[in-house]
Amino acid sequence: MPDPILVLAHIDETSQINIGAREALGFAQNLSENTGRPVECGLIGADNSSAIAEVTALGATKVYTIEDPLLDRFSGDNMVSAAAHIVSASGAHIVLIGRHPSTLEFIPRLSRRIDGTCVMNVTGIQTVNEQHTEIEAAVYGGAARALYQVDSTSPVVVGLRPAAAEAPTPYPENSSDIVELNLELSADRVRVITEATADEGPRLENAEIVVSGGRGLQNAENFGLVRELATLIKGMPGASRAIVDEYWAPPTEQIGLTGTTVAPALYIAAGISGASQHMAGCSNARLIIAINSDPDAPIFKYADIGIIDDCLAVLPELIELLR
Amino acid sequence: MHILVAAKQVLDPDGINSYALWGRLEVSEDGRGFNTGATVPHIINAYDEQAMEAALQIAEAQVGTRVTAVTVGSDTAPDVLKRCYAMGAENTIHVHDDEKQSGNPFRISQILATVAKNLGDVDLILCGRQGSDYDQGAVPAILSEDLGMPFITMASQVSFDEQTQSLHVNVVTPNGPETLACNLPAVVAVSNEIGQPRYPSSRRMIQSRRNPPTVFQADELLSGPAIEKMSIKLLTVPEVQGDCEIIEGVDPKEKAIHLLQILRERGALNA
Repeated sequence: MPDPILVLAHIDETSQINIGAREALGFAQNLSENTGRPVECGLIGADNSSAIAEVTALGATKVYTIEDPLLDRFSGDNMVSAAAHIVSASGAHIVLIGRHPSTLEFIPRLSRRIDGTCVMNVTGIQTVNEQHTEIEAAVYGGAARALYQVDSTSPVVVGLRPAAAEAPTPYPENSSDIVELNLELSADRVRVITEATADEGPRLENAEIVVSGGRGLQNAENFGLVRELATLIKGMPGASRAIVDEYWAPPTEQIGLTGTTVAPALYIAAGISGASQHMAGCSNARLIIAINSDPDAPIFKYADIGIIDDCLAVLPELIELLR
Repeated sequence: MHILVAAKQVLDPDGINSYALWGRLEVSEDGRGFNTGATVPHIINAYDEQAMEAALQIAEAQVGTRVTAVTVGSDTAPDVLKRCYAMGAENTIHVHDDEKQSGNPFRISQILATVAKNLGDVDLILCGRQGSDYDQGAVPAILSEDLGMPFITMASQVSFDEQTQSLHVNVVTPNGPETLACNLPAVVAVSNEIGQPRYPSSRRMIQSRRNPPTVFQADELLSGPAIEKMSIKLLTVPEVQGDCEIIEGVDPKEKAIHLLQILRERGALNA
């Protein structure tokens, strides 16, 4: 039996796996077809019971689970220890982790802990052989790709770029072996003084419609037009890094490489030039609409439909028509 | 308190981005860089400059704090140290290493860990959240493991709390801001939310010439075998498809009407 491809996921208070973990299971399935390695999944959280069935339906043939109230956050010492324990139990040399804001801490720490390697923002795995694995990652804000060559004799922890693969079709009749692991945990060295209040409302990363604005809005007040249009079409507002840096929109609404990545059915970009930094966060939208007065703006290379006009003239018209 | 700031030199990401935007970004023959020549300068990684700013803010609040800046890289790398010095770092360290090694965060971390251990009295290591060249963001977290120190990333503010004698760090999360705390020594990675770094003083910029960095050779510094388990083999530039349907109309209103028509026909507004 070849060693498995292991997908690791944190289970938060929603008790479900996030979009990143579903994409990672899809990526694992594609890789499994090319390499003949089975897909296994490791779940870490305070309560994994319902997630076990979910990842089984999504193709995991074996599910490792570590449950502990101390594992409620996807960060910190205990997450790394729990994940290292699962990697060692599975014997996997390829460990996949989908998009999640905490991967910036988790993936490199885990890779060092298990004496392996890591590559972040991965778009594909090219070659897997006994000596080395070749992994492609987005670099320079998405403007270029780097082909990393990593040693195959130790595990590589792969941080997948958002939408690197589609989530697999669930088969509820699937079955899996369940392995419950235990681990002695202790209080984290990092203490939480004030926790962000998790918004109960819809999350930007899961939005099906996103309307986002950039410098073309000209001032903070005009970001209200983006919000209003988003509300009218039951979408969520987003912003380019340029205007978040100007405080026209909060960091939680930033879309791009350093910000949230979205893959909605509809993405409307108003007054956004289309820097690769930004496009890294939205280029996987199924339908991209660009509204920009500059016909040479790079956003039109990515967009499916474009309006060459001032977004400050077009947005009010759209709002008026939709009211 | 002794703060070590790790800073790296990168090709100006805005310059690289401009080339990419106009479809003129080409990989150089050796597959390791770009044919941008001198038009895209090497600069200090912006997140590292923000880490430097965070260090100086602590130094201002904490009497007796020293800031040392370190960089790993080839001959041009010390330019970032001049900037760190001019911003207010007391001492600077250049670890000379082959540029080809820059794609291996485990080696870079091993070098930085050795520098920190040799200094002997480092209380806090500040880094930028990621390099704007390879965007991996792996070194700070690996470094915390190498040194066995607690780690916090995405910092928007870092301060030392006298009362509890611990580090307080505000971080950015998708749910909004959080405040975390840990004991020293620790490794903290700083994000752009910390704000605009101060401008280097021209007086210290001139002085930086008389205060060159302490130089080490990476291979001499690393006593044991270095971790050589990964490298960048090749850079490529992805093709962007240009296939945009432009909506016609005499004025913004007509264009808006046409757009909504198309979106309705495609069922794109039925979320």
